[in-house]
Amino acid sequence: MSRWVLGEFRSPERMVEAARALRASGFLRLDAHTPYPVEDVDAVLGLPASRLPLLALLAGVGGAVGAYVVQWFTQAVDWPLNVGGRPLHSGPAFIPVTFESAVLAAAGAIFLGVIVACGLPRVTHPFLDQEAFRSASIDGFWLAVAVDGSEGVDAAEGALRQFGAAVVLAVEGRR
Amino acid sequence: MSEPLPLAPVTADPLVVHPLLEERRPDAQLGEALLRPVLTAPGMGWWALVGVCAALSVLLAVAITITFVTGVGTWGNNIPVAWAFGITNFVWWIGIGHAGTLISAILLLFGMKWRNSVNRMAEAMTLFALVCAALFPLLHLGRPWKFYYLVPYPSSLRMWPQFRSPLTWDVVAITTYLTVSVLFWYLGLLPDLATARDTAKQPWRRRVWGLLSLGWRGSARHWRHWRTGYLLLAGLATPLVVSVHTIVSFDFAVAQLPGWHSTVFPPYFVAGAIFSGLAMVLSLLIPARRALHLHAVVTQAHLDALARLLLVSGLFVAYGYVQEHFFGWYSGSPYEMHVMNILRTGPYAPAFWTVFACNVLVPQLFWSARLRTQPVVLWCAALLVNVGMWLERFIIIVSPLSEDFLPSSWRHYAPTWVDLSLLSGTVGLFGLGFLLFLRFLPPVPISEVKELQHELEASEAFAHDVSVRQGGAR
Repeated sequence: MSRWVLGEFRSPERMVEAARALRASGFLRLDAHTPYPVEDVDAVLGLPASRLPLLALLAGVGGAVGAYVVQWFTQAVDWPLNVGGRPLHSGPAFIPVTFESAVLAAAGAIFLGVIVACGLPRVTHPFLDQEAFRSASIDGFWLAVAVDGSEGVDAAEGALRQFGAAVVLAVEGRR
Repeated sequence: MSEPLPLAPVTADPLVVHPLLEERRPDAQLGEALLRPVLTAPGMGWWALVGVCAALSVLLAVAITITFVTGVGTWGNNIPVAWAFGITNFVWWIGIGHAGTLISAILLLFGMKWRNSVNRMAEAMTLFALVCAALFPLLHLGRPWKFYYLVPYPSSLRMWPQFRSPLTWDVVAITTYLTVSVLFWYLGLLPDLATARDTAKQPWRRRVWGLLSLGWRGSARHWRHWRTGYLLLAGLATPLVVSVHTIVSFDFAVAQLPGWHSTVFPPYFVAGAIFSGLAMVLSLLIPARRALHLHAVVTQAHLDALARLLLVSGLFVAYGYVQEHFFGWYSGSPYEMHVMNILRTGPYAPAFWTVFACNVLVPQLFWSARLRTQPVVLWCAALLVNVGMWLERFIIIVSPLSEDFLPSSWRHYAPTWVDLSLLSGTVGLFGLGFLLFLRFLPPVPISEVKELQHELEASEAFAHDVSVRQGGAR
């Protein structure tokens, strides 16, 4: 069973300021929930850059190599078919399929990568049971502080109020 | 100086004539206004249009059934005109899809803020256009139920597809384009589906949108991956969109037929695709903007930008026509010259000069800044361009086929009612898809418009600060 304290702020600037203050006063396990991406929040929360570009590169190269090998194997090795005297291993004619397959593999990997990296699909997260938390996708800017025990809850509630949260909620549930 | 200078205008950029958002609203109100089409009951107009489109879709189903049961002999295709309507419709529809990707991906990479209000509708248009496009090569196979022969899978036949043929390239290109468009669209929808889930009052709506949004919580960790992924997909979709219509043009350019065998085809086809797609975006956007009261987020700035793009891509297309006819003449080949001559003065002259009027003359209206923001003018021009682009695809395909090398094998083409039903049926299917989309999914990207509003407010506040400081220092 994990515990969090959620605090709602009315503007992204105030939320970022509060996040900075919370980190300075020792609350390090922070997350923000906002209706649109907020500038600076990654830097304040100390989140590293996403590694999706590397995944996309690997998947793209894999798709390209796979497609080229399939074409070479089917046209030149397994079923050599002479079409108008063209070479059996006709590299230039294999480029379109190779390129498209690279894009397909990379795009699929990016999409699945985003879904997996975000821990989705997860439609039963404990935050989503909170009626007030609905504003996180509308006009509220929420900070979530992960805490241990009831002392932690009290401390985080106090800190969030001190830094200007309009609404403060304690939530517990499976992470 | 006795008089104080006037303060600087409170906009971020003095060169911007029309605002991107007509008014500033609190985020909650803005979100609710953008969700109104999906949260309220549709009007009579929507039902009437759905009725028309559904009837046309039934016609499509009838035409497809006849094609399946009796065969492509029910079409007007003949030898030598073996491609005719089927491939015309295919090229036309797939081209229409390209503007959606242009708006959603290319403009994202270029940091064009105005795309934010219109990209969702443009992407939906792409999807439905691609579904319509994908139908035609399948039906045109003659034995559509054997379509899986085009996929390289190990089978007891011990045969493989022939990868030196543009037909197999088409299969991969269309599959990839459709898949990437769906993924890009759905990834963009996730945050808005969460907004819809959280705004809705009825439990069943919350549940459906809750499932569709996959439990999106707008966490900083979510947004970090989402933004990276979205940008990467845009970066992939940009070369993809160029490659798809290039491959479609290879279907023609690889052949040795006069009028087709030309190196100008790939760029010429891509330009035509984007041109026709922009026209379709305008044809859908202008009525949708009016019916859904989106004037505050789809402003004159958007119409102006789309009209400029229409003009620019129209100039590319016009250049393509000039090149086509120049190369026909410059080749010195009597066959090439003949194909171009029958366009200008022969049996295809009425179609050709209609194409010229619709695609070359009509867009020239939009040199005028006043006409660029007139919805009625833009809408009529867009419809004419749609017609012109369809006719262009038609004459590109039919005229070289019908009069090629040997006059004794010349034969002309006339469509049958099945051909016409397939064309109008896909228009109905496309319209039905778009109408259902407007009703069930957020048609304007809510999170992106909120972010844009926040950015505009911040830049206005900054400009205001600067002007106050300058005024104070004086």
